[in-house]
Amino acid sequence: MQGAWWALGITVASLAALAYYAFVVLPARIHRWRCDGLRAFARLIELRTQGRYGKAEPMAELASAVAQRLGVPLHERRRMELAVYLRDIGMVAIPYHLLNKPTPLTPAERDLMGRHAEIGASITEQIPGLWQVAPIVRLHHVVYSEQPDAPLAAHLLSALEDWIRIAESADADTAASVLKQGAGARYHPVVVQAILSEVQQRALDGVKSLTRSAALWL
Amino acid sequence: MPPRDEHTMSWQERIKYWTITLAVLAVGLLALTGTPLIHERWLPDLLGVVLLATAAELLLIRYPLRPEYSDRGIWLSISTPIVIAVVLVYGWQFGVWLDALTSFVAGVVTAYLRNVRLQWVAVNTAHSVLSASAVGLVAAPFNVSQVGVLSAATLSALVLGLLIYMLVNTVLVSATVALAEGVRLRWVLAQTALSLPRDILLMTPISFLAMASLNAYGAIGLLGVLAPYLALRQAFILALRQQELYHQTIRSLGFLVQRAHPYTGGHLQRVSMWARRVAERLGLPPDRCELVYEAALLHDLGKTVLDERILNKPARLTAEEWEEIKKHPQLGAEILRDTPFLAPIIPWIAMHHERPDGGGYPFGLRGEQIPVEARVIAVVDAFDAMIGGEAPNQRRPHRRPLSLDEALSELARGAGTQFDAQVVRVFTEVVQEWRKQRELKVGT
Repeated sequence: MQGAWWALGITVASLAALAYYAFVVLPARIHRWRCDGLRAFARLIELRTQGRYGKAEPMAELASAVAQRLGVPLHERRRMELAVYLRDIGMVAIPYHLLNKPTPLTPAERDLMGRHAEIGASITEQIPGLWQVAPIVRLHHVVYSEQPDAPLAAHLLSALEDWIRIAESADADTAASVLKQGAGARYHPVVVQAILSEVQQRALDGVKSLTRSAALWL
Repeated sequence: MPPRDEHTMSWQERIKYWTITLAVLAVGLLALTGTPLIHERWLPDLLGVVLLATAAELLLIRYPLRPEYSDRGIWLSISTPIVIAVVLVYGWQFGVWLDALTSFVAGVVTAYLRNVRLQWVAVNTAHSVLSASAVGLVAAPFNVSQVGVLSAATLSALVLGLLIYMLVNTVLVSATVALAEGVRLRWVLAQTALSLPRDILLMTPISFLAMASLNAYGAIGLLGVLAPYLALRQAFILALRQQELYHQTIRSLGFLVQRAHPYTGGHLQRVSMWARRVAERLGLPPDRCELVYEAALLHDLGKTVLDERILNKPARLTAEEWEEIKKHPQLGAEILRDTPFLAPIIPWIAMHHERPDGGGYPFGLRGEQIPVEARVIAVVDAFDAMIGGEAPNQRRPHRRPLSLDEALSELARGAGTQFDAQVVRVFTEVVQEWRKQRELKVGT
């Protein structure tokens, strides 16, 4: 009997491995699968709007990093990432000519466009495993002064989407000043703070890696 | 397939005889093993273990082969590790009775909760009894109290026992599924055997722990196995969730296709069903056939990207508008580009408007250059459009819906040029059979 303690050791080790697999590895894999699946929805909108909306990967990654800065727990960060992929899915129901109108939209048209969040949320609610994502999709253009008690993830996506749009069309400094001006009014102040420090951190890291590669070249 | 012989049994009869056979075998085995138990000191132990194992079975999920089978009441037991532990500690007769009682009690409760027919409880219990008895054949000469719990002999007996149990159980369950669903046994086995190694790997440590605690503390010792059982449960649930997610993604995308382009009366469902049947008849492997079904459901995914004013235009399209429409196969492929688990169906979606004579779009491929799956979808899609199942705008005044025969002869006319000749031949058989069955149903 005493000769085979190794069997007990193997059992304990395999149980630990089983627990790790069940509670860490599998959930991560499931999340990756989910994102893979939802990426198709984001690409659909990207194609339908000729690249103006729906781009998801970089935003999901940035949003998750900002949320981590805010101390948002892992499962909520994952939920928010899913919301990034799904946020513009309501655009399937917005008329094509409106989405691709070359001239500026009239107020009535802008109003119609604004309904994509609500439509997207109702589509999301119909996907069995994703009903918890729907509130974030519904409020992903939320205005802080109007609904300060909306989910933090919604405030985050609202501010981050504007930051990305302005940073792409103008530059990062303009985007940062717009966010700073809107903090407390249009945007959640805590979120603005987190986004700006994350972006700044990345710029610094970028400079560092640039100098490092330059040093390597020299 | 030859025409159905009228003297062959219907599936209800086949499943009835199968149930009776299984039940007789199981009752016989129970009678054979039952008598020694009653006189032994084991009775309180047996009741304690049954109680705990039944609780485990009910508390934990039923591990269905596939969701649709569990709805029918066919499932794989998750109390297997405990059964194997009991066989090794108390002997195989005890194990057989434990498994029978656990399956029966848990089955009756489940049947009551989920409104499953009691016939399935009998079938499942018989599966368990036969599987546990098979383990008994191997483990009968083995006695833990002689060789000790922590020995290589015990460990190998345990793994062997799990292996045999799972093998026998999988074959039996697959046979039942094959009979009940009227599909080939080989097909079901191919789908279920895949997860066997993983399941055995997951169950081995649990079973070992159960055996050690049973040996040391009796039935009460099983309480200590609860925590690892919960981990196992989590693993199973998530593994199932992964499958579910896959189907969910496809269903949700299909839903978007449907609302972007409101087809009449389930065009997509019909096309998918027929495409799968044709693929089966062409002898494609089972998992491919499943993929063909899904690809057929999503073949027009690219249309969700197009301007709905063109899609829904009630009049003849201009040349530019046609060019726009012709983009939809490639757009569909583009949408799925970054979704690795759908990668196999991407080329089929991109090529479902190609023609064997090279006159199709978007690439103008010929004959064998077009994957057979895409050729199948092309034929089935065109057929359903001809009989009037397509979108309303494609049902134009000058194109009234055709009858089945007219549509089939239209396909035959295009065979070899517009459509793949072999696919058309097989599809014609499928439609004729479907029609015959429908007439039979109407007749009765």
